[in-house]
Amino acid sequence: MSRFYRTGVLAGVAALLLGVALAQDIVLDPRVFEIGNELRCPTCVAESVGESNASIAREMRQIIQEQLDEGRTRAEILAFFQDRYGDWILLSPPRRGVLLLVWLVPIAALLVAAGGLVLMVRRWRAAADAVVPVAGEDLARVRAALAGTEADAPTSDAPAPAPRP
Amino acid sequence: MKRVAVVVAIVGGLTALFLFGLLRGAPDRNVPSNLLNRQVPGFDLPVYERYLAEYGPRLDLADHAGRPMVINFWASWCGPCYAEAPHLEAAQRRYGEEVLFIGIQTQERDARAAGRAFIDRFDFTFPNVIDDDSRVSIAYGLFGVPETFFVRADGTLAYKHVGPVDAEVLTERVEALLR
Repeated sequence: MSRFYRTGVLAGVAALLLGVALAQDIVLDPRVFEIGNELRCPTCVAESVGESNASIAREMRQIIQEQLDEGRTRAEILAFFQDRYGDWILLSPPRRGVLLLVWLVPIAALLVAAGGLVLMVRRWRAAADAVVPVAGEDLARVRAALAGTEADAPTSDAPAPAPRP
Repeated sequence: MKRVAVVVAIVGGLTALFLFGLLRGAPDRNVPSNLLNRQVPGFDLPVYERYLAEYGPRLDLADHAGRPMVINFWASWCGPCYAEAPHLEAAQRRYGEEVLFIGIQTQERDARAAGRAFIDRFDFTFPNVIDDDSRVSIAYGLFGVPETFFVRADGTLAYKHVGPVDAEVLTERVEALLR
């Protein structure tokens, strides 16, 4: 095999591997996927640009890579897509306007739930500590029963109960 | 009794929420365009062969500034695109003198034969161009195909239609562009 032929074969294999790598996003900067995971894939359901294999998501990853190569920051790249698609494209809604509710409602719900729990516990405790009114006749019966029990109680001379096995 | 009412209210609310999630279907993609009332992005894309004589090898949007436009994004694999195609061609034949209709094949790479077949099937008389890498589709904030953009003569977006257009939508929106 001539040296020329071998070099040609090696170059061909290298080009093929590079092509495969490019097709599978292997050569993309890891930051591309970090930023892509913050963007919603426009044509998919519940998938981010970082994880989708849709053609448009692959193209968006290429755009992110190009913009990173140009020295753009994460915020600038997200703003680029937001400018075209609006807030819809962001998987974490921005903390402003009506979208602020998305962040505030769960916190408010947690606070309300915690407050409700505290109130319930207080009510239970108050109920446990409350003095229950008892009719005089019932009280006298209980006292009599207690007095009878004390009279029937074993003295110290009585044999101790056998220990349990 | 009061406790039972509270439990029924909570269980009822959760059941309603569950049923809403179950029955609401696919997410609504009819999100208003962020380009509304803004200048639409320019593009310079290769033209299908049958329009070469009239438009040359590439269609640059800037060359047609000052004309109202209807820009329709389609793909040969997209079922609703076939449903709307006859309406687009009919609107082009009716309003083509005043409004520039442009078809953009997008979200499919290297699908020239399928694109040609699609164009020939409906005998499109308006220019159709190829957005091979979907960059124009991203510039227009496309969620899918078909989507149709109605552009005023000053280059600003008047309306974006998500899904297949019909004769009624086309007439109403094109007439609005011409007013």
